[in-house]
Amino acid sequence: MKGMLVFPWVLLTLALAQSPLEKLQEALDRLRGPAHQGVYELRVERPGLVRTYRLKVYTDGKRVHVRVLEPRSEAGQAFLSLGEDLYLYDPRLGRTLRLPPAGRGERFLGSDLTYQDLMGRDLEELFQVGEVQGVLVLTPKPGAPTPYGKVEMYLKDRLVERILYYDQRNLAVRELKLSAYQRSDGAFLPREMELRDVEKPGYRTLLRIAEVQVGPVPERCFNPLYLERGC
Amino acid sequence: MSLLRLAWRNVLRQRRRTALLSLVVVYVSVAVLFLFGFLDGYGESLVEAYGQYVEAPVVVAQALWWEDRDPEHGLRVMPSLTYPLIQAMSPRLSLYALLRSPYHVQGGVVLGVKPEEEKALSRVPSKVKEGRWLSGPGEVVLGYRLAQRLDVRLGERLVVETGQGALGLEVVGLVQAGVGNVDFAGVYVHLEDARRLSGREILATHLALKVPRGQEARVAQKLNENLPQGFLAKDVWELMGPIRADYEGSRLFYLPLLALFMLLAAVAVVSTVYVSVRERLREFAIVESLGLAPIHVAAQVALEAALAAALGLMAGLLLGYALLWYTSTHDVFGPLMRLSVELLPEAGLSEHLYTALRPIYALYASLVVVLSALLALLFPGRLVLRLDPSHYLRGE
Repeated sequence: MKGMLVFPWVLLTLALAQSPLEKLQEALDRLRGPAHQGVYELRVERPGLVRTYRLKVYTDGKRVHVRVLEPRSEAGQAFLSLGEDLYLYDPRLGRTLRLPPAGRGERFLGSDLTYQDLMGRDLEELFQVGEVQGVLVLTPKPGAPTPYGKVEMYLKDRLVERILYYDQRNLAVRELKLSAYQRSDGAFLPREMELRDVEKPGYRTLLRIAEVQVGPVPERCFNPLYLERGC
Repeated sequence: MSLLRLAWRNVLRQRRRTALLSLVVVYVSVAVLFLFGFLDGYGESLVEAYGQYVEAPVVVAQALWWEDRDPEHGLRVMPSLTYPLIQAMSPRLSLYALLRSPYHVQGGVVLGVKPEEEKALSRVPSKVKEGRWLSGPGEVVLGYRLAQRLDVRLGERLVVETGQGALGLEVVGLVQAGVGNVDFAGVYVHLEDARRLSGREILATHLALKVPRGQEARVAQKLNENLPQGFLAKDVWELMGPIRADYEGSRLFYLPLLALFMLLAAVAVVSTVYVSVRERLREFAIVESLGLAPIHVAAQVALEAALAAALGLMAGLLLGYALLWYTSTHDVFGPLMRLSVELLPEAGLSEHLYTALRPIYALYASLVVVLSALLALLFPGRLVLRLDPSHYLRGE
């Protein structure tokens, strides 16, 4: 009789248990946050040098429009990520350029972040997922265009807390930490992000959301024509 | 003949003076031989590097591709080429790409090749230092210095990205060719992978042809006469790019310099002969009074200068050819060239340089003898021609 009671519980648990891939997809979905606009602070630390940027960000969770507000010397630069397409407006050139897909791996404003880190779904597309003691272990699919040998994703309450990138010699090279999640409209928004170059002491990038306004973002913000004039 | 004997006796009469002026000619002869040998050796080294490693002896592509090396202007149909001197032929696809390892990102030119055909065409496949040459898609072979820069090792994955696609390729071989472009920038992938990376419906960007050494320009010219419209064949010299200008500039710089050296050597010889002639004006007056025509006396002076220069030339040729033989068989300039390759890694320079050794250099060097004789005829010779024998015979 007791066994008959336990059996449905086991079945239910198994039915509800997520596969590692589903866990990854859910975590990445939650990483995007709700549609919002806000002011982000980007702090780029290098040995003996610190640069701070203030950025205006518009996103609907899939597309992102970023404008540099400060410092004044770099103000006016704008970036627009539309899936595979990445646009860049440089006021010094006075032109909007479309970067090739290869450009998504470029460093964002000279920080340790790449455009891919900001918006990409590489972890889902290029890696196969396993789970070891509650940690998602991602290994590249055959021929996948990723330089990493392994990625470990640490989750807490089904939210990404830490991502550790390994080279192909099993040495950690980058560490991304996400914290201060804010729940809004059923979505989650990490308000602090820290990326550290494990190989280079003193190389660190901090991204913090200073102001945020959750809600729909005007469609024009995701039109490359508005990169120059702003939306 | 008696003039020659007389001139020879006079040359030997002032042995120390003759030795000193010959020394100048020795120096200049050695310099002429060495500089010609060095310049020709440098040229041959460039042709070797570009013909066998960096490019090919002859390359055929669309004229548009020559102007703008975008795969967009690649070959959608292979032109059929037939010419008896073509020894091997293979399509290649070159495209700009971003190379990404976990530590570094670097731009470069990726060359898609057919692995087996490439062996008949280029020496790169035989210069694999570690691992092996390409055998199929999904693989990449890198220059060993590029691999060091990117910090990738054999068996690891290298990401190759272009505006049209990205591939994670396994590093299967590292090449050490001793040619800057190959070791510092060589990225070789299978032609199929290069086609995927190009994202376009092209078969290749160009056709590489192997032809006998020295026949490159002729074959390119013959092909251009029969190629379909819009195609253009270029020989190895045309493929060299800026380094060719550097080489031709060096020749333009050194040849006038050598001519100046030779002129100065001839002037040195002639000035010594001039002094000698002035000292012997009375002797020449007696000779003329005995019936020798002034022009013959002037010829004797010219012969004296020529003989003194010829003595120096002989010694210079011996020394110069010995030096050339040594530097053409021993890699004396290796350290210098390795430094140059470090400084200009993508200039197509080879880490080894052997001088050329050609008989024609003796002819170039012997111009100093001719020049000395001519100048001797012009200056001390004229002194003899204007000589008034009666003036000297009277003892004035």
